[in-house]
Amino acid sequence: MAETIIETNGLTRSYGDICALKPLDLQVPEGEWLSVMGHSGSGKSTLMNLVGGLDRPSDGSLRVGGEDLLALSEDGLARFRREFVGIIFQQHHLIPYLTAVENVMMAQYFHSVPDEAEARTALERVGLGHRLKNRPGELSGGEQQRVCIARAIINSPKLLLGDEPTGNLDNKSTIMVMELLKELRAEERFTVIMVTHNQEVAAWGDRTIYLDDGVLVREERMNS
Amino acid sequence: MLFRILKNSFLKRPKAVFLIFLSVAMGAAVATAFLGIAGEISHKMALELRSYGANILLEPSAVEGGGFLREEDLPKIKTVFWKYNITGFTPYLFGVADFSAGGKKERGVVSGTWFAKQLEVPGEDPSVQGIKGIAPWWEVQGTWPEGPDEAIVGATLAKRLGVIVGKELDATVHGRTQRFRVVGVVTTGGYEEEQLFAPLVTVQSLLQKQGKVSRVLVSALTVPMDEFGKKDPASMSKDEYEKWYCTAYVTSVAKNVEEVMAGSRAKPIWQIASAEGSLLKKLNNVMLLLTVLALVASATAVSTSLMASMAERGPEIALMKAVGADRFQISAIFVGETLIISIAGGVVGYLLGDQLAGIISRTVFNSAITSPLWLFPTAIISALVVAIAGSVAPLRRALLIEPVKVLKG
Ligand SMILES: Nc1ncnc2c1ncn2[C@@H]1O[C@H](COP(=O)(O)OP(=O)(O)OP(=O)(O)O)[C@@H](O)[C@H]1O
Ligand SMILES: [Mg+2]
Repeated sequence: MAETIIETNGLTRSYGDICALKPLDLQVPEGEWLSVMGHSGSGKSTLMNLVGGLDRPSDGSLRVGGEDLLALSEDGLARFRREFVGIIFQQHHLIPYLTAVENVMMAQYFHSVPDEAEARTALERVGLGHRLKNRPGELSGGEQQRVCIARAIINSPKLLLGDEPTGNLDNKSTIMVMELLKELRAEERFTVIMVTHNQEVAAWGDRTIYLDDGVLVREERMNS
Repeated sequence: MLFRILKNSFLKRPKAVFLIFLSVAMGAAVATAFLGIAGEISHKMALELRSYGANILLEPSAVEGGGFLREEDLPKIKTVFWKYNITGFTPYLFGVADFSAGGKKERGVVSGTWFAKQLEVPGEDPSVQGIKGIAPWWEVQGTWPEGPDEAIVGATLAKRLGVIVGKELDATVHGRTQRFRVVGVVTTGGYEEEQLFAPLVTVQSLLQKQGKVSRVLVSALTVPMDEFGKKDPASMSKDEYEKWYCTAYVTSVAKNVEEVMAGSRAKPIWQIASAEGSLLKKLNNVMLLLTVLALVASATAVSTSLMASMAERGPEIALMKAVGADRFQISAIFVGETLIISIAGGVVGYLLGDQLAGIISRTVFNSAITSPLWLFPTAIISALVVAIAGSVAPLRRALLIEPVKVLKG
């Protein structure tokens, strides 16, 4: 049995009166690919942000990779994010005035030292070896999302978080991105948590959990 | 990488960067110009103030010299350590005389002096010394005396004697009489209006005091007295004394002159010296205040521009934080940008300010100035201060950005 990489107990996040995440107990074993589904506003992003160290819970405990996230300072969380987590958002958040390769190098820069050759290799792995010097505005949505993937994996994270990474992509691009992620996971052996509205996308994972109004209502194991 | 981020971020927002650059450059330019001409203004102002009267009085010390100073010592005043600060001096020899003119008789003071004497001192530039130089406010109706038997008479004395310009007048001392031709009547607003002023040599022979002088008035450029200047030189250590001697306090210049005039004691004329000192100090404070205000204004402008561009850069900063940039790394980017802009702004501001100082000096004071060496580093430092002060608030806002709120997905 693999070790548990994420463990939450009574994890809660509320905004004033709104309880975005009701007390949640969740365990994710290392190397698992977990899909998260639910209606809009059900608390999927809230959960991702907490696990990724971008947000702090209102209550409960949260351990990721042996680290108690509640105990970390702001800079401690920043270090946790750059060393442990790779994040891909629905909108391809890239710095508009930097080229593809520079966007990847930026993550290296915050992590340790930028290494252009390594950044180039990462972009070649996501099939963008020919678009290194292009700025985000000159890339298609699918290509931008692949730059984000290259950036997310450049520092060899243990945990890859995707908040609807294929939400804005057409079918063909979606399959391309999913295959890419699967390939990369096979090599790097990171854990994946991916939010999606798409049943087919969820099916790429090992397990799917369903959130409804901040409550984990159902989970489903895939057989493949 | 930091460099690439900075370079591209500059190229992406040339307008915003230019605005900030302009604010810093203006601040540095104004500071440079003000500080550059401050020294010049003080100097010019001090020179102007010298026309309000001598600030050092030399008198015979009570102990030696028999109550008189020696005329032959006078040229030595042009050779002392502070000679370039001494803008002028005049000797006086006083005596009581019986004046008579047109049948009227009055007792009064006859005063021998220099009016505008050509003074040649070996090894020094020739100069003109006398009342005309150190008391420019004297109003002479008529002309200044030129011949040995020409004199000017104080307005009050002239009235009592009933003399006018062109008339003659006799002065009698111990049975010796000297006839003077009145070439001018002088109004000073002071005790001088009771006296008759004639060339020193003539009065010396009338009083039988050849080569003698009762007092000397000296006009010198000095620096305002400060705490150190007020200390008693007698209680100073050797180093302190040297420092005191080499600072142009009115007291140290006085001491300097006293040393070359045998049997003399030099006293600052405090009502002049201290009024002058406080005026100069106020002037310097005003210049400093204006400089600080200019810097505050440009720091405010920098802050406003940075704040405005911050709104636009929110997503970028949020993204950097999301991929793991900590507060130090975010600050480094900001500080880096600010440093580059402010150094560039400082250099340009310095060049502009230096020109500005030159123009001001030419138009207002009619003289060229050379900017002091410390002005360049001062300009750069003031640019840095402006930039740093201006980026405190924007940086704080940047550090408070929460990536979750900005990067909603
Ligand atoms: N900053 C906030 N302040 C107040 N309420 C918030 C805030 N962020 C999220 N919420 C609320 O928390 C609940 C869960 O939001 P969350 O973003 O996690 O939903 P989601 O499942 O990701 O939805 P979607 O599929 O639309 O992205 C929502 O009701 C939302 O309105
Ligand atoms: Mg969401």
